Amino acid sequence: MRGYTGKLLRINLSNRRSQVEDIPEQLMKDFLGGRGLAVKYLYSELKPGVDALGPDNKLLFMMGPLGATTAMSVSRIAVVTKSPITGCIAKSIAGGNFGAFLKFAGFDGVILEGKAEKPTYIHIDGDGVHMLDADEIWGLDTEETQMKLRQMHGNSTKTICIGPAGEKLVRYAIVISELRCGGRTGVGTVMGAKNLKAIAVNSSGPLGVYDSQQFKSLAREQIEGLRTSPRRIQMTDFGTSYLTLGFEKMGIFPVKNFQEGHLEGVEKISDEAFAKIKVGNNGCYGCMTKCGQERRVTEGPYAGAFSEGPDYESIWSLGGNWANTNLGSIIAADSLCDKLGMDTISAGSAVGFACELFERGIITKKDTDGLDLTWGNHGDMLKLVEKIGRREGFGELLGEGTKRAAEHIGKGAEAYAMHVKGLEIPAYEPRAVKGYGLMFATSNIGANHMYGRPREELAGKVDRFADEGKGKDIARNQIAQAVEDSVVQCSFTPATGLTPESRAKLLVAATGFNEFSDPAYLDLIGERILCLERSFNVRDGFSRKDDTLPARMLTEPLKNAGPATGQVVRKLDTLLDEYYDALGYSPQGIPTTEKLGQIGLDWVIEDIKGFVK
Amino acid sequence: MSVRVKLPSVLQEFSCGAETCEVTGKTVGECIKSLEMRFPDIKNHLFDRQGKLLRIFGIYLKSDGIYPVDIDTPVQDNDELIILNFIMGG
Repeated sequence: MRGYTGKLLRINLSNRRSQVEDIPEQLMKDFLGGRGLAVKYLYSELKPGVDALGPDNKLLFMMGPLGATTAMSVSRIAVVTKSPITGCIAKSIAGGNFGAFLKFAGFDGVILEGKAEKPTYIHIDGDGVHMLDADEIWGLDTEETQMKLRQMHGNSTKTICIGPAGEKLVRYAIVISELRCGGRTGVGTVMGAKNLKAIAVNSSGPLGVYDSQQFKSLAREQIEGLRTSPRRIQMTDFGTSYLTLGFEKMGIFPVKNFQEGHLEGVEKISDEAFAKIKVGNNGCYGCMTKCGQERRVTEGPYAGAFSEGPDYESIWSLGGNWANTNLGSIIAADSLCDKLGMDTISAGSAVGFACELFERGIITKKDTDGLDLTWGNHGDMLKLVEKIGRREGFGELLGEGTKRAAEHIGKGAEAYAMHVKGLEIPAYEPRAVKGYGLMFATSNIGANHMYGRPREELAGKVDRFADEGKGKDIARNQIAQAVEDSVVQCSFTPATGLTPESRAKLLVAATGFNEFSDPAYLDLIGERILCLERSFNVRDGFSRKDDTLPARMLTEPLKNAGPATGQVVRKLDTLLDEYYDALGYSPQGIPTTEKLGQIGLDWVIEDIKGFVK
Repeated sequence: MSVRVKLPSVLQEFSCGAETCEVTGKTVGECIKSLEMRFPDIKNHLFDRQGKLLRIFGIYLKSDGIYPVDIDTPVQDNDELIILNFIMGG
């Protein structure tokens, strides 16, 4: 088998046994890899109603067929489970280097089952799979954990791990490899619930491909294209920080928990401002873009703070969302979230949510352990981030996520919890790009920007303020994202330089599967994955009622947002009808029997037919 | 020199819907100035407060990307400047 290793490592943490399984070739052809394969296994092996934090949940890490080859920006890893924050299916795509070395060790993926009796980590090397006592690393932050594992197993050890937030079951904990996260939907929380601190691997390449001459030629072509690409160079120079100023002008950059669209002093956190303290670049395995911006604060109260980032979303969540333009504090908060092992988007949103409650008098210093959560007061906000990650005091509640926290607080707090299906909305104002509204509402994992962004509206090809006519585009983009996540390629087009056609050629050269030469075949796989994720949720009672947005987006005209001022998502129902129609779902958002049959999911029909109305 | 400028859709909000327009200038910078004179609202959306081109936009001269943007790049009569917006996060 080339491209794929064809092997899956299954580890049961309860009985401390592991076994290696073959991945059937037909599954590879039907689900491609990464997210697709992982979703297939999870759907088939998890019963509806399973507690996301219980031993019956499973956590899957899965590579794609191009991973660990010489092609650029295709060695990320998909992490899939049932989410503890949404109760839906969860997927997050992590960079770093763990995935490539897992594949070098001989595995396309790992399925983790059960729950270890005590804190454990897994070490994979040439001698096999070892389940080891994690006493020495439990409680350490993610940086310390990775360093300690290198000390114990050698400098070449590659790791994916959780931090204190995962151990303490903050519902939006991450997994992290070097400084690259599987950041959203609480995949790290599930790992913590299994008492698993880390997976460490010692292995070496290379990995064979089916047609090495052709693959080499295609990879060289990709590299040559990237070498001179202005967009790739810009990504290397600035990462995604360049979006902040442009989006703020377009009214897309939410401020003060989505209350408005203008940030006074935004230029203090611009790409240029961050570039002034840049000290280097870092990237994932097999990537020449190295978009990671290593930055170190040189002066002020946060002098010395270092992070590989923040990217655009974290500049927003720890900056604009808090009305905070103190650049040093954003670096420090980003670093703190990484070390504690929690999602910058959800953590930043939880703090922003608390700030709005504080502003409105719904909570006071009595509730916040004395913290002054006035907008822009970054010092106390950082203290709150730490409390969340360690689940101390007021942080205990916010670690539950904004939806649960709002329900607990009451007094109308629910109106200020900016989430979809429990997952906090990231850095894109749905009222300013209504396709984002539809995408967030229909996403099977909750509000996540990496679930098929509205490319046509962002490029200006479709009117971003139009209230209708977006269902087909969003459906198509979600399908395309499912394919990208199953390859598992970087979603930054400038970093891969790949088109659907050039990617198809690489896939065929890697695997020898001629089916992959047809982009339409890959689109069918994407549609199948999307539909299976929805079916997973349907089995647990999700439907149209859950495909919605916070009332603020639907009723409150956007304030102070340049050309987007006054916008509201006026016709979500119309957009939902368009979207369901494009995908062959019922008006209740449930895949129809006919559609399931058309896309090779006949075996799902029995599971969900009772839900179709 | 007479140069044709092609605008991305997000800037057409400020050019009365025009997708392209003719401007004059000897360099990229002069052409952009000419564009601003014609459609003053574009300036606020194309540049930051220091007058630097926002990096969500890229300028292409005869399909060759100019990066970093060098406003002193000379243009020829009947050249085409294309402004594209690079918008994506992750």
